[in-house]
Amino acid sequence: MATGFEVSREGSLATITIQLPGKVNKINAEFGRGLADAWAQTAGATGVLVVSGHKDFCVGADLDMIHAQTDPAAVLELVRSLDQLLRMIETSGVPVACVLAGSALGGGFELALACHHRVVVDDPRVTLGLPEINLGVIPGAGGTQRLPRVIGIQAALDLLLQGKLVRGNKAVAAGLAHQSARTAEDAVLLAKAWLEQAKPRSDAAKQPWDRSGYVWPGISPQGADARNTFMAASAMIYKKTAGAFPAAEAMLSVVQEGSRLAFDGAVDVEARAFARLATSGQAKDMMRTFWYHRTAAERHEGLPPAPRDAGIRKVAVLGAGMMGAGLAGICAQAGYEVVLRDVAAPALEAGMAHVVKGIGERLKHKSPEERSVVISRVKASSDIADLDGTDLVIEAVFENAELKHRVIREVEARLGPSAIFASNTSALPITGLAEASVRPEQFIGLHFFSPVEQMPLLEIIRGAKTSEQTIARCLAFTRAIQKLPILVNDGYGFFTTRVFSAYILEGAQCVAEGWDPVLVDWAARVAGMVVPPLQVFDEVTLRLGDHALSQAEAYRPGIAGLPGAQLVKALVGAGRIGRAHGAGFYEYVDGRRGGIWSGVAALCAPRVSTPAPVEQVRMLGERLLLAQVAETLRAWDEGIVTRPQDADVGAVFGIGFAPNTGGPLAYVDRRGAAEVLDRLQSLAAGHGARFAPAPGFVKFVEAGRRFYA
Amino acid sequence: MPSEAYIYDAVRTPRGRGKSSGALYTTRPIDLLTQALVGLRGRTGIDRADDVVIGCVTQTGEQGGCLARFAALQSGLDVDSPGVMVNRFCASGLDAVNHAAVMVASGHFDTVIAGGVESMSRVEMGSDGGAIWDARTQWAVGSVPQGVSADLLATLHGVSRAEVDAFAIESHRRACDAQANGYFGKGLIPVRDESGLVVLDRDETPRADTTMEALAKLKPSFEVMGRQFGLDTLVRRAYPNVERIDHIHHAGNSSGIVDGAAAVLIASRAAGDALGLRPRARIRSMAVVGDEPFVMLTGPLPATRKALKKAGMGPHDIDHYEVNEAFAVVPIVFQRTFDIDPARINPIGGAIALGHPLGATGAMLVSVALDNLERTGGATALLTLCVGGGMGIATILERV
Repeated sequence: MATGFEVSREGSLATITIQLPGKVNKINAEFGRGLADAWAQTAGATGVLVVSGHKDFCVGADLDMIHAQTDPAAVLELVRSLDQLLRMIETSGVPVACVLAGSALGGGFELALACHHRVVVDDPRVTLGLPEINLGVIPGAGGTQRLPRVIGIQAALDLLLQGKLVRGNKAVAAGLAHQSARTAEDAVLLAKAWLEQAKPRSDAAKQPWDRSGYVWPGISPQGADARNTFMAASAMIYKKTAGAFPAAEAMLSVVQEGSRLAFDGAVDVEARAFARLATSGQAKDMMRTFWYHRTAAERHEGLPPAPRDAGIRKVAVLGAGMMGAGLAGICAQAGYEVVLRDVAAPALEAGMAHVVKGIGERLKHKSPEERSVVISRVKASSDIADLDGTDLVIEAVFENAELKHRVIREVEARLGPSAIFASNTSALPITGLAEASVRPEQFIGLHFFSPVEQMPLLEIIRGAKTSEQTIARCLAFTRAIQKLPILVNDGYGFFTTRVFSAYILEGAQCVAEGWDPVLVDWAARVAGMVVPPLQVFDEVTLRLGDHALSQAEAYRPGIAGLPGAQLVKALVGAGRIGRAHGAGFYEYVDGRRGGIWSGVAALCAPRVSTPAPVEQVRMLGERLLLAQVAETLRAWDEGIVTRPQDADVGAVFGIGFAPNTGGPLAYVDRRGAAEVLDRLQSLAAGHGARFAPAPGFVKFVEAGRRFYA
Repeated sequence: MPSEAYIYDAVRTPRGRGKSSGALYTTRPIDLLTQALVGLRGRTGIDRADDVVIGCVTQTGEQGGCLARFAALQSGLDVDSPGVMVNRFCASGLDAVNHAAVMVASGHFDTVIAGGVESMSRVEMGSDGGAIWDARTQWAVGSVPQGVSADLLATLHGVSRAEVDAFAIESHRRACDAQANGYFGKGLIPVRDESGLVVLDRDETPRADTTMEALAKLKPSFEVMGRQFGLDTLVRRAYPNVERIDHIHHAGNSSGIVDGAAAVLIASRAAGDALGLRPRARIRSMAVVGDEPFVMLTGPLPATRKALKKAGMGPHDIDHYEVNEAFAVVPIVFQRTFDIDPARINPIGGAIALGHPLGATGAMLVSVALDNLERTGGATALLTLCVGGGMGIATILERV
């Protein structure tokens, strides 16, 4: 028998224990054979229990098996063999139960769905579900067909389309498990008791959809309800994805089509869609960034090792705006003692309210006492004396170098010799700010993204004098607050802000040139960008954008003179400051975004009228992506980012660069570096030097290189 | 062309409200069609046909299974009269007429009955399913519910709520006027029950009391679907610059859901002569077209251009236009595009007042238009309908 599967007997019941070599059960190329062998060993049993020998039940497919595979026929064969095995097990006439004492995800949960009875441990740390959509694919082992038949079409679509996971303590209510137990041992007892009473070849030993008279839970796949549900879901998907994510469309389609077919045919429809998606460039790129690179970043691969004890107990956050207050909340949640400092009492009060509200939401499953313990770790103060004994200061004050210098001097005077001073500046070079510091080796950039509670990325900026020890201690802090780090070198805008600024400036630039602003924002979404540029401009405020562009002029001469930058200035001059002020590129009515302001056109070149709007969308979308790609390539060439994965992780997780591409450098690889070079050169000729390819990239293309193997 | 196709007669049932409270709810679809065929037989004396071509959209349930053949037999036509069903969504009835005309014109057939039937009260619209409801098809070809298309068309052409509401009131005014003056005279065949008692003898839905104020109170029907469910966004695949759709259509300015049937006798001159009949009109030209499927309802424009071109005519050579009032915006845009006198379009009311029994409408319009041309002394009529999937149909009739 293949290693990792053990069969034991107890009376007439057999137990298959899955414990693959390593720490987790993953469905790899040998999994099917191992399970088939184990199943054969249970011959004669009147019931079979499937359990895991690891903490988790099974975390899903081994992506190595799929990521490397480019042949749809091979993928189809792979998933079909697993489909046939699961189908054989669920139709054998022998009742099969599984115990989900740990998480069952993707293929692991699909294995559980193929069992007749699922007992889950009632623990929020156990998660169940099918998150495949996040990697640009759909479930490939019957999940899109079994789940709707178990919990109904609407409930299944809700989970499948968002890759939503369900916690162990909610699994029975959600219909994903039949029974729950407090402990793994109790779960095994319940499962065995169920197997004892379930007679072979009875209905209990059949899946509901294999019983005669099966009725779908919720709406029936035939009829007006299903039609309306699928139509609404189709529109909803488009509203969310603008057509940039074929996996979501395929998900809906296979559920709709499969729900009308006999089960084996239904699974085959899924298998064919899976084979197409899994071999697509989009899925490969999403898997690389959202799985391989993300996991590597989570594990701090290639980063200096973080010390076990970084000597950080007390954190001070300077500035109680949305960022500062948010940071204070997540630090308190990670167990730090926090001082939230601001000179303005109303800001402090609002900041503290933000902390309380945030913790209330994030820890709503905890008791009021536990929540108040976390909240009590935060002290809002305007008294500088409260900073005494701080190990890590993070300043989040206004983006002004002089102000920051003053704050650094004032605060550092109160700090002990080992304390780290971090700036959350989004653009100002760390080396320059560190000039105000008496300990520049303990000065660092920690660039968080807003809203900080939700945005996973932390861009760590190494100043010219920042010590390795400071970086290592900050990495320990990063881990404690559960952020995804990228470590970059210093320079104006570091990495992410450079790319982000290139994006929104290009949006404004297109508008200034006379392109329809409606098409500009729509084009960004069709290209896959998470948020369109003009909407973002309104969010961050045009005033701040104008300020940043003036500031950037010192580092990027000529930038403030671009028509796009001039347009932003003119809008601010016309009182269109941003969303918070109820007026920007867009109109706002009672805080709700309306249409583009009718006055924008008068501030721009005459309206571009050709080619057809659909073609304009394609051109603009490409241009908005390439503006960011050009900036990414420059940052890479200048050594701001040294590893391609840092660029892709930073752009995707930090600023919402089109996730469907896998990131700006993945985009270069998929499109072909030579073609990208060609496009950049022609855009540079038509629109200016901001599109000019970095010299290193020209050499890169000449050498015929790729960023990823 | 070996032969020309002539219309010898055209009849229709009245249109009953397409609900369980409607007058025709208790009449089976096959009986609606049978009575139209019986009516045609009664007026022409015809007792057999080389084929019976019937349009119907929702061909399932009571309307499934080649209704044409069974209605033909039930109507007393000779057993050698076969039957076939046609479905081109809302064009089905007129398509049946065109099919019949082409069959006759080809010389292969001499006498063909065309027609249409739809009992919307009994067979729910959409209940026949179809790939059009598959998300996969919607992604591949682009499709939204017609009401969203109507509002999109209005947005693209800047047609306002006030205009569509005013159009609706005029449709009712003209239909009521026509009813009061008996303009729907000889082609209208009352529907009777099995004892011969009259079930319905006039169109049930025109209202003389419709006012702008009353219509203004109606909520747009497709606003929630469009805005909340995101159907408006779906449209941006083809119309990326449409930032926002103005939802202006509602039950009061869209075609009514009704029941009804129609039948038209089409034959070659030789066959008509042999039957001793005098033709009422000839079919001068016809066209079907495909246009952009999201906006869906623009088909009448290219279809009309194509049919006019084939006939060697211009828009002002037509005395009577029937532009199906699927939604008020359709005839409004049609009128603007061809710059036709509004009085010539749907002069005795349209589907907003009278209702649109999907697969029957096109065939009904033959009867309506011919009766009116004869009354007014006009010579030519152009019938056109917008069609699901972005299609359009047009037929030009000329009195002889």
